Amino acid sequence: MAFEKILTRYQDIPNYTGTIEDYLAQGGYQALPKALREFQPAQLVEEVKKSGLRGRGGAGFPCGVKWGFIPKDPSRPKYLVCNCDESEPGTFKDRMLIEQDPHQLIEGIVISSYAIGCHLAFIYCRGEFVEGARRLERALAEAYRQGYLGENILGSGFDLDLYVHRGAGAYICGEETGLLESLEGKRGQPRVKPPFPAIAGLYRSPTVVNNVETLCNVPHIVLRGADWYASIGPPKSTGPRLFSVSGHVERPGNYELPMSVTLRELIFEHAGGIRNGRRLKAVIPGGSSAPVLTEQHLDLRMDFESLAAAGSMGGSGGVIVMDDTVCMVRVGEIVSRFYHHESCGQCTQCREGTAWLHKVLSRIERGQGRKEDLEVLLDMCDNMKGKTICVLSDAAAMPIESYLKYFRDEFEAHIRERACPFAGQGTF
Amino acid sequence: MIADSTKQRLDELVARYPEKRSALIPILHEVQAEVGYLSPEAIQWVAGYLGLSPADVMSVASFYDMLNLEPVGRHMIYVCHNLSCSLLGAERLIRHLEERLGIRVGETTPDGLITLKRMECLASCGTAPAIQVDGVYYERMTIQKLDELLAKLRDGRLGRSRT
Amino acid sequence: MPTLKIDGVEVTVPANTSILEAAKSVGIEIPHYCYHPGLSVVGQCRLCQVEVEKMPKLATACNTPVADGMVVFTRAPKVEKARRAVLEFYLLNHPLDCPICDKGGECPLQDFTLKYGPGESRFVEEKLQRAKHRILGPHIVFDAERCILCTRCVRFCREIPKSGELGVFSRGDRSEINLFPGKALDNAYSGNVIDLCPVGALTSREYRFRSRPWDLERHAESVCPLCSAGCNVLLDVRHRQGGEELLRIRPRENPAVNRWWMCDEGRFTFQYLADPARLRVPTWREGDRPVAMDYDDLLLRLARAIRRVGEAHGASAIGCIASSRLTNEELFLLRRFFREILGTPHLDFRIRPVQAEPTDASEDGILRRTDKTANSRGARDLDILPGPEGLDVAGMLQAASAGRLKALFVFEEDLVGERPDRPGCGAPGRGVREALGRLELLVASSLFATGTTALAHVVLPALGFAEKEGSFTNFQGRIQKIHRALTPDLASRSLPEALRDLARDLGRDLGPIEPERIWAAIGERPGPYQGLAWKDIGPLGLLPAP
Repeated sequence: MAFEKILTRYQDIPNYTGTIEDYLAQGGYQALPKALREFQPAQLVEEVKKSGLRGRGGAGFPCGVKWGFIPKDPSRPKYLVCNCDESEPGTFKDRMLIEQDPHQLIEGIVISSYAIGCHLAFIYCRGEFVEGARRLERALAEAYRQGYLGENILGSGFDLDLYVHRGAGAYICGEETGLLESLEGKRGQPRVKPPFPAIAGLYRSPTVVNNVETLCNVPHIVLRGADWYASIGPPKSTGPRLFSVSGHVERPGNYELPMSVTLRELIFEHAGGIRNGRRLKAVIPGGSSAPVLTEQHLDLRMDFESLAAAGSMGGSGGVIVMDDTVCMVRVGEIVSRFYHHESCGQCTQCREGTAWLHKVLSRIERGQGRKEDLEVLLDMCDNMKGKTICVLSDAAAMPIESYLKYFRDEFEAHIRERACPFAGQGTF
Repeated sequence: MIADSTKQRLDELVARYPEKRSALIPILHEVQAEVGYLSPEAIQWVAGYLGLSPADVMSVASFYDMLNLEPVGRHMIYVCHNLSCSLLGAERLIRHLEERLGIRVGETTPDGLITLKRMECLASCGTAPAIQVDGVYYERMTIQKLDELLAKLRDGRLGRSRT
Repeated sequence: MPTLKIDGVEVTVPANTSILEAAKSVGIEIPHYCYHPGLSVVGQCRLCQVEVEKMPKLATACNTPVADGMVVFTRAPKVEKARRAVLEFYLLNHPLDCPICDKGGECPLQDFTLKYGPGESRFVEEKLQRAKHRILGPHIVFDAERCILCTRCVRFCREIPKSGELGVFSRGDRSEINLFPGKALDNAYSGNVIDLCPVGALTSREYRFRSRPWDLERHAESVCPLCSAGCNVLLDVRHRQGGEELLRIRPRENPAVNRWWMCDEGRFTFQYLADPARLRVPTWREGDRPVAMDYDDLLLRLARAIRRVGEAHGASAIGCIASSRLTNEELFLLRRFFREILGTPHLDFRIRPVQAEPTDASEDGILRRTDKTANSRGARDLDILPGPEGLDVAGMLQAASAGRLKALFVFEEDLVGERPDRPGCGAPGRGVREALGRLELLVASSLFATGTTALAHVVLPALGFAEKEGSFTNFQGRIQKIHRALTPDLASRSLPEALRDLARDLGRDLGPIEPERIWAAIGERPGPYQGLAWKDIGPLGLLPAP
């Protein structure tokens, strides 16, 4: 039975362009009046808690619980910031959501702001999303014009201003406190926690930072109820999830599915299987920070718990599929190059460790590896994990550990043969 | 250095935020679009405009990949070289561009037309390999599509869009 | 107040104290680089991580507040491994050029690596190359390869002088501390980044390559003499065949006065002490020419001259202009000599407008003050002021001009010329030259020849602050000791010695001249210092109860 699309239902509506007319025509902006009329803010928080909605940005933190941390004190300003800094390699769902159906996000933001008592919200949009930002701006103007934003929204007495704030190219701004620093006009260096943003976030005021996809779920929860939402997928990973599937599959793209879907179903049924009839070699299930999985994991369910139990993580839902032409040392080189490039540089282990990892992996890939390199790499990963202000350092170390865990023979072959055994194969 | 119309837009940006400094990155985007790159003079202007020290503004500007502290070409080609795009031939695209443009990654063609840069994941993995030219995505790129695009850039059929 | 256990040692500290400070309070060292008690806490270097019972991860001691019942281990195997790792990471790209690095021997990177770091490097890649010896400003030179990006210098410039010259540019391992193009690190407190830098990245252009720390044999505790703030300092002295050299002045932590800082003027102004132009021998003017004399002979002759003036015109024909650059002890003896032994009421030190209360003010809201002498407060507290019917400075000059004042002593002040480059010289002087020219006897003590010494009949060489034992009282009223860093020239005589001998030649006894015995006398006198003793003045000074 085909899964009923919720976040991406517009995909099945011909000529849907994401204007406010299109959105209204398919039943948009019905959740907002319902929320404003039928719910007290605290009830909304409870409803979202009950729905089991978990953050879709990477950490999978329960959204309603996060909202519940916001102090009720009405005298302090509160902020909601939508994290649209989608930069986790392999992930491309938020970009689609803002480009294709921006009003769904705006409606989610207005309801969420109402729930936490926020009157000024921002969409922190990745700098590279030039078109996405433009579409958001257009949608914001439409929403203001029709009274879904601004003062006294739909006559409810609730006010909200919402702006798009463009970043300028830094992965670390996807980390919520790095994002807040950047939004305050600073280098996007993550903050020491505690205090968490719910207590001292933007301008040191209580702040909720939610991912685009997370917020897009909110109108549907309001409209159809927490019980309906919680009935989708496994009990601890409720609701639909957008899986961005890329790499060596026949039909790459975003797939909206319950998290009960298995990795096998996702790759072989939805994404059409491995390209050119080749074999699956490795798959990264939750963005490049997630440890790699292999064929043996294909029957895993794509929910947060199952992936964690298998030593990986659901992360951002970016599923990168690799066939048997792929050199895992080269994958390690590319992934570590990314974290090397993106480390903000404030913590020693991350600044130096990401660079060192990249250099050693590059050297092994070039055929200049030494026997002792693998132990040095593993020890380095250990030294990088769990010791820094944010988890970029962990995100750089964990995948490399996993490549060494499942493909150690490939690393050894590079060292032994003083060359990459895959040279000349595929397009890599 | 900064046109009055731009300055008016900057004033509007500043007005959005409870703290003025929040407008820094949006302002740097605007000033970069106007000046071409964030020259020391441009940085100093922004610092003066927001009441920050020039070193502070430079420190912020230098943190972000899209802010250029050196002059760049009229068109900016970013090629995603992250995993999904690499799996589908990003390196071949880069090699091809380097050959066709006669420059290395990070350089600008001698005529000042094109700057070529590598970029980390552009969130276009489902349509890899992807490149971005002046803020516009070009996806499922092939060598042939690249050549067509370069021809358009050369004969001015693609205007420079504001990023 | 929470009580916790650090390595088995029970510690009770105020709430919100960090683990790092709590450990420090019981002498447990937790190595760190980015943390500095005077700056914002960023928790970036990650070296101060410790194990805390019931916490899943290591905690950074600098920004983890203590809690009651907390159990902390600073030498647990996990901690030791994490430290070793951080130090290994630091050294990956560090040039390891300790033999030619100014910081060598007093370098926390060296010290912690030796104590906690790995013995060998596992890094076989090429090290990053960065800028070497880049001049950042009048006093500071930067070596980017040695920098470990602790950002203390950046935070200092932002938070203390608030000049914000420095920034971290770029990101990740490309990060580098730098200035905005065309700017200089030239705020009035720039030298503090030298002390703050935990490696040899920021070094002093003045001190660079001049000494090794282990050759600096003496670190005399003293007080900066260049304004009324009274910043606590250390005077670093090296002994060589050529004699002693004062090579460096550094701030000495005093929470109530200068905290960890001092200004560049105070830090870098000391070359004058070794200036060959300093006056070395006492002279008596013969016609237009000063003639050097044996000190004892000169004092005998001076005593006769004083007696002559006194007998002919009375004690009130003698005046004394003291300096607020003198120590409390010198001032006390001067007062005793002039007011009690000679019996003149004409005594004053206020030659600058700022010294008239209460115009001494902070110059910049940080440390520097507008009164550019160290001891105006002490002079006032010790009553270096006109006695009954005594004349102030202006009055004495008028009286000299009118021929009523016949003999004038001027200690370490120049009433005539201006030498702003040399402390001890510099004051206004309209009509002063004429007034001084009418005196029968003008005695001046000075470090250097000045307009006043040129007019003086008798010139006594003075000692610099680094050559004296004594105390200054800063603007707050805090009495702070200065200790001798340099042995005075043999030919010279300290002011107390000269006064004692002069009194003796006049047939009088000045009393003891050693600071602790002078204080016995000071403590007996009514006034702000009554009941105080030399030994009461600790290393951080003494603020008498009001």
